[in-house]
Amino acid sequence: MAIAKAERLMNLALCLLGTRRPLSKRELRDSIEAYVEAVRPEKGAAGSEDSFNRMFERDKDDLRELGLVIETVENLDGEVGYLARRDSNRLPPITLDAEEAAALGLAAKVWQQARLAGAASGALQKLRAAGLPEDVDPYEAHGALEPRIPVHEAAFEPLMLACRDRRPVVFEYRKATAAHPEPRHVEPWALECWRGHWYLAGWDRDRGAERVFRLSRITGRVRSRGSGFTAPVPDVVTVRETVASWAGEIADRSALIRLRSGAGYPLRAKARSVRELGDGWDELEIPYGHGLDAWLVEFGPDVVVLEPAELRADVVDRLRAVAKG
Amino acid sequence: MAGKPVRPVSAIDQTRRMLSLVTYLRERPGARVADVARAFGITEDELVSDLDVLPMCGTSFRGGDLLDIDTDGERIWWHNPAALGEEAAEPLRLAADEATALLVAARAVATLPGLREGDRQALLRATAKVEAAAGEAAGASARLSVTFESEGGVFADVDRAISERRRLWIRYYSPARDEVTEREIDPIRLVSVGHTYVEAWCRRSEARRTFRLDRVAEIRILDEPAAPPEVELRDLSEALVQPAVEDPEVVVEVGPGGRWVAEYYPHDSADELSDGGLRITLRTPDPASLRRLALRLGRDGRIVSPPELADSARRAAREALAAYDGVEAARDADADGR
Repeated sequence: MAIAKAERLMNLALCLLGTRRPLSKRELRDSIEAYVEAVRPEKGAAGSEDSFNRMFERDKDDLRELGLVIETVENLDGEVGYLARRDSNRLPPITLDAEEAAALGLAAKVWQQARLAGAASGALQKLRAAGLPEDVDPYEAHGALEPRIPVHEAAFEPLMLACRDRRPVVFEYRKATAAHPEPRHVEPWALECWRGHWYLAGWDRDRGAERVFRLSRITGRVRSRGSGFTAPVPDVVTVRETVASWAGEIADRSALIRLRSGAGYPLRAKARSVRELGDGWDELEIPYGHGLDAWLVEFGPDVVVLEPAELRADVVDRLRAVAKG
Repeated sequence: MAGKPVRPVSAIDQTRRMLSLVTYLRERPGARVADVARAFGITEDELVSDLDVLPMCGTSFRGGDLLDIDTDGERIWWHNPAALGEEAAEPLRLAADEATALLVAARAVATLPGLREGDRQALLRATAKVEAAAGEAAGASARLSVTFESEGGVFADVDRAISERRRLWIRYYSPARDEVTEREIDPIRLVSVGHTYVEAWCRRSEARRTFRLDRVAEIRILDEPAAPPEVELRDLSEALVQPAVEDPEVVVEVGPGGRWVAEYYPHDSADELSDGGLRITLRTPDPASLRRLALRLGRDGRIVSPPELADSARRAAREALAAYDGVEAARDADADGR
């Protein structure tokens, strides 16, 4: 049976952490059983050497992924050696009290995405090894509150890594009203989750402008485009303002509507003023932002738009489409 | 345990955990399996599987070598802690992903409106300390952010009611019926998934329900104790409303402009149509509640079945249009009179 990958990674990590001098690839290969097994002669000399090299490169990448700083050093004979120096791998002193420990315990379990959930638990375990207090059980501390960060979009992980590593990407994107997706070349800056949906802000190379993308509208795979960023990354990236304006949350105008008494609570909750008309109807002044027409139509015969004329026409237009349907 | 994400254990996660585990165990000879599993947020089985791997590991350049760690199922013994040098056993710095995962989550929770001030302060203090300890690794965490929406006042009342085990009275808006109803609920927990919800036992419907906080029109904490029946907590992260198999089926066809329906409504299937639209099949206990959707879609989509639903949307639209005829007529009359 092949030796489990975790055992192989653990041995490599302990070797690199335990040594004071760089260890050559050959030394590592000869002292880690999983590597010895990978280069067994019966597998064919050339093939096994290749497979060992690939395995070794992947393993180093995996260890770097979990935070290990591995240095590559060339000795006098030109041979390459590896080591993980203590001073570059040591967690600086950190002292957290019981309340802070509980708070981090709550934070560590909010990710619903495998990679980040694993990373958050890993962070907490490292802090635990560094003496994070245990007198409260952080996993039970605030039992009544469960914040969850949902990640349903397949594009999330590749984009997260691309944002982290500042790597340009290309993906097929279907705009809200477009029949077909089209490729977009983007320098990804930041991801933001709002109301349970993920958005990407970045530099759209095709349009030569900053754009916000909704991850659920990305179809197919996100592919890397090797070269670096060409546009400067702004200090502050504001995704939410853009998305909020799409959602009609930013309204600089007002509309006047009639609303049947007792109906349309959310409209009342947002209303700037409400006046009872006494005939089973009320008159409301409400904020008028993007998408208000579609929302008002949902209330069917319980809403009549009075002003402005443009909104009234939009609503009537939508109602006609349904009436004909 | 409720809410704990179920995911495949990756070799990276296990390696990371074992590296922390050796540091932790080195200082705690004879540590109890149950205590260690709790401290690491893992099951005892997961811990035991780590303890099976560790004796195969070591720093083989020091001679002596493999970690002699074993367990009798209750306690963990490490017979040669010197096999791991003092230095190799020090806690490891945080990786970029680790710092990001923890910091982004902590910042998101800290901004949750209605969170207890003590909890918020603890989160902010912890965040600052972790940022400092993570150093450069914390930098990338600015590239992810999450906002939880909540109604602060309602949140605080629900939180208090849960901790004091008291019943709540609420006026609650139901979009499906466009009505506000009064009910008494026994709150069980607060769940934030984008929006924040209270899961509760509803005394009116004698069933478990979730209520979105921004739809609570009014709330009062009652003197009566809450007495929710023991219910099994579900993982609410996938979908808060899970349709039942016996619920009636609704079929909606949307054009490209109505594709959002598939993002907002849990559905059984969404098949691509040749015009870039979708044919979406979903189930709901109350198809009449989808009249709103039919109205909203306008020319971006139509209800294929059930026909009664399509009819009711048409009727509602016609009735609404009639009111505009009235308004137009009244305005025209006004204009004439001037």
